[in-house]
Amino acid sequence: MRPTAAPVLLATLLAATTLTACGSGSGSDPDTVKVSYKQSTDNSIRVMDTYLGEMKKQFEKANPGKKVELVPIKAPDSEYYTKLQQMLRSPKTAPDLVYEDTFLINSDITSGYLKPLDPYLDKWSDWGRFIGTAKAAAKAQDGKTYGVPDGTDTRGLWFDKGVFAKAGLPADWQPKTWDDILAAARTIKKKVPDVTPLNVYTGKPAGEAATMQGFEMLLYGTGDGTTDPLYDTASKKWIAGGQGFKDALGFVETVYKEKLGPDVTDALDPNFATSVRGELLPKGKLGIDLDGSWLPQDWLKGSGHEWPEWSQKLGLARMPTQHGQAPGKVSMSGGWTWSIPSKASNPDLAFTFVKTMQTKANAQKWYIANSGIAVRNDVAADPAYVKAQPGIKFFTDLVASTHYRPAYPAYPRVSTAIQEAMESVTTGDSSVDRAASAYDEELKTVTDGQVTRK
Amino acid sequence: MAVLTHRATPRSRRSGRRLAADAGLLVVAAAFALPLAWVILSSLDAHADLRVKMPDGVTLSNFDAVLKPDITFTPLLNSLILCGGGTALTVVCAALAAYPLSRFRSRLNRPFLLTILFATSLPITAIMVPVYALFVQVNLIDTTQGTVFFFAASQLPFAIWLMKNFMDGVPKELEEAAWTDGASSLQSLVRIVLPLMGPGVAVVTVFSFVMMWGNFFVPFMLLLTPDQMPASVSINEFFGNRGTVVYGQLAAFSVIYSTPVILLYVLVARRLGGGFALGGAVKG
Amino acid sequence: MSAGTRAASPPVRPLGARGAAPRRGGLLRSLTRTLPLAPAVVLLLLFLAGPIVYCAYIAFTDLQLTGQAHASFVGFDNFRAAFRDDAFINAVWLTLVFTVLSSLVGQNTLGLALAALMERASKPVRTLVGAVVITAWVLPEVVAGFLLYAFFRREGTLNAILQWLHLPSQNWMFTLPILAVSFANVWRGTAFSMLVYSAALGEIPKEITEAAEVDGAGGWRRMWHITLPMIRRSIGTNLMLNTLQTLSVFGLIWVMTRGGPGNRSQTLPLFMYEQAFQNSMIGYGTAVALLLLVVGSLFSLVYMRLLRTEL
Repeated sequence: MRPTAAPVLLATLLAATTLTACGSGSGSDPDTVKVSYKQSTDNSIRVMDTYLGEMKKQFEKANPGKKVELVPIKAPDSEYYTKLQQMLRSPKTAPDLVYEDTFLINSDITSGYLKPLDPYLDKWSDWGRFIGTAKAAAKAQDGKTYGVPDGTDTRGLWFDKGVFAKAGLPADWQPKTWDDILAAARTIKKKVPDVTPLNVYTGKPAGEAATMQGFEMLLYGTGDGTTDPLYDTASKKWIAGGQGFKDALGFVETVYKEKLGPDVTDALDPNFATSVRGELLPKGKLGIDLDGSWLPQDWLKGSGHEWPEWSQKLGLARMPTQHGQAPGKVSMSGGWTWSIPSKASNPDLAFTFVKTMQTKANAQKWYIANSGIAVRNDVAADPAYVKAQPGIKFFTDLVASTHYRPAYPAYPRVSTAIQEAMESVTTGDSSVDRAASAYDEELKTVTDGQVTRK
Repeated sequence: MAVLTHRATPRSRRSGRRLAADAGLLVVAAAFALPLAWVILSSLDAHADLRVKMPDGVTLSNFDAVLKPDITFTPLLNSLILCGGGTALTVVCAALAAYPLSRFRSRLNRPFLLTILFATSLPITAIMVPVYALFVQVNLIDTTQGTVFFFAASQLPFAIWLMKNFMDGVPKELEEAAWTDGASSLQSLVRIVLPLMGPGVAVVTVFSFVMMWGNFFVPFMLLLTPDQMPASVSINEFFGNRGTVVYGQLAAFSVIYSTPVILLYVLVARRLGGGFALGGAVKG
Repeated sequence: MSAGTRAASPPVRPLGARGAAPRRGGLLRSLTRTLPLAPAVVLLLLFLAGPIVYCAYIAFTDLQLTGQAHASFVGFDNFRAAFRDDAFINAVWLTLVFTVLSSLVGQNTLGLALAALMERASKPVRTLVGAVVITAWVLPEVVAGFLLYAFFRREGTLNAILQWLHLPSQNWMFTLPILAVSFANVWRGTAFSMLVYSAALGEIPKEITEAAEVDGAGGWRRMWHITLPMIRRSIGTNLMLNTLQTLSVFGLIWVMTRGGPGNRSQTLPLFMYEQAFQNSMIGYGTAVALLLLVVGSLFSLVYMRLLRTEL
């Protein structure tokens, strides 16, 4: 009777009083696939909406009588996950297909929100086309696969050639160490005072972008550059904040303390990423941006912030390791998958829709539309894809030396702890040391004490 | 001279005081009016920013831009359904409940009223997390009716309290005549008491409606599907993106969204002194 | 005190066969009489009492939004964790600051001042001020949040005025966010106090104040020695209601700052939401909710003592 007493009582009373009689639209239609995805908070960006609209048309044509209902969730990253998880908890609200970030997927699998896809994948010949790391991205600790990845990504430094020219910096800039980046930013600050020299995402409002584009791009470039600085696979424990952790926080602190970064208020606005892509970069107001490979999706034709000249205006540089130690460059990779909630009412039809989206032609269309990196080897080998967009080659080459997050069930909360540490040094509320020790405390709580020191 | 001043004292002192009071009030009113001025001026300004300024030219283009189904009409309709339903339920339940509390003496009245009074002041915000968890368990999450019930329940304590106070003001003698004619309690409530306390019912109705119309947290927690969202939540989602938001449109939408409750309030206040009646009812 | 206390302590009547027949009729009658209470009672039990009971239950579990297969009972762990959590202590402090600044000092004092001034002001001014202040109150929470966001932003009206006066301007929502949201709450909530006090002042017989005036008591002394003591019950009630409303403010702060930057404007409701949903610890968030509920209940009990005589 413990947890269920109150709800059961409530349910019976509700039924008895026939209050639910006026319910509408709660029943699910066996012929409709409900698809939930993240809609940009920038009202002029509708890349995914456009693509899914097209897929819906194809699907409905190929499967007469079946329908796709698109349920966009419009929220900044950090709030999208919350809304999604809230929806996954109840069969009433669970869609048939959801767009899941791979950093969260293990956590959601542990909660029992998602359905293993192995029975479907076994019978789907195209699954063999997916590259190994992509297949592993949605594989849980139980050995089952819970999602079909729709691409991956890498990260690097974007810089504005116009700003660099004004500051007297080279157009083929390639920093070797963190200090090189800071030096360039300081030069920009001095010589081109009306632009933001360097953007590093930070703080809780930026969500996973702060952790991954910001912090981890720094952290994974400390130490020997090969072992995972966050999670120790041998002991299966999370690693408390060591010197590398503090150095990475120190970098963030420097950027904001010396005002090399955006104004702190702007940096801590949940929609700052949207402004970077929609305003700061296209308007030449940002010198260097530590960001993901997907940026050009907003600038393609028909995507809202058309900016076809971006490839002439912006340069790309690899993110260096801290002191330039081998391997010399750092990248992080993540990506999103299509997953079927365990409470979905039409899982079979949902997978049929996944297959529609993941034909070679449609997958390729999507990789290009959202500036993704192909995870199907047939697309990756297709010259039409490689040439479709400047930048694809640069970012695809980074895949060889990229890192993947330790996306275990506790990861999302570890990530939040990292964001808190970043935010406190960004605002200047605490010193690097204090922020790092606060992180250690938090890490113990969120991982149930599974922490080791290195 | 001295005599003259002395004689003039009461009147001149009073008018001097009135002048001082007027001046003080006008300063406060100006401070309160600035943010309001921003929303009105910006809604008519094609190049609005965050500052209060006279528009270069008055335009309705901001209104044109937001008067679309997905931005304005659907959320407002959702708001209307939620708040209309919630208010109707609140007022009916409160009127029914207030009647026995006001008319019959029972040993249950005092504990019941105390509980109601206690519930009036509970911070509803605090229970939203468990309400969410509970609604997931009983499948009321993301349903209009679930949200309506919760709205009604959260407004009921105060509504019952107000309603009972207003009802106490209706003399009992009128009903007693009806009872001797064989009217039931319900009949006398509907035919005699409620019509006599029209202003009270109006105050309760408008107050409940205004509270629900503006409430953000309840629908934010209990509804998930975008098409069901009332204006209080959709406005935040649509305009939450500060970096690229068009302030003129935000202002125009704010004006559209706020107008119904302001009109309702003005209607009640002008005809019945609504706000002041409310102040009187809670003053203790 | 009169009617209420009498109703609550009826003469004790011995149970016995003698009373059986009339009692049955009385039972039926009292049943039909209490029947109209049923819909309200059902709603309140299901949707208010139910969640409160459920709240008390979840607060003792480690229920999570994600990353957990089964929730389990953890006793007082959540509460222990809260009192060791700097962020929680920070939220408690900010809640106190927010409540004292915006409710006790801001809304209450300003409301009283406005009401007192309106007593003396000319009618057109009274109407105008009432309209403006009440409009701020009637506006939807989110709209109020947007308006004050615009007002306090770096590029906003407040800084424009400060610059015009040659005073230093700053980004209020960054440097002193708790002050900005407190002012926002004063802006939005003062009307309520103003209405309560206008009603209370209106009931003071004119003869009393006039008599004091004839005796030569100055404005402040009259206020302090005559007016305030006469409306002290209203003051108590108003303070309680204001405090309770202020404790529950969520939307206004959410729209303006989301509790940030850092957690410099994160009051308990925002802390609770963040823990429960963004950090996915529903159990912990609910424990905080329960604490908030307990604090609210204590205030509520004080309020009821103040109103005791009314019942």
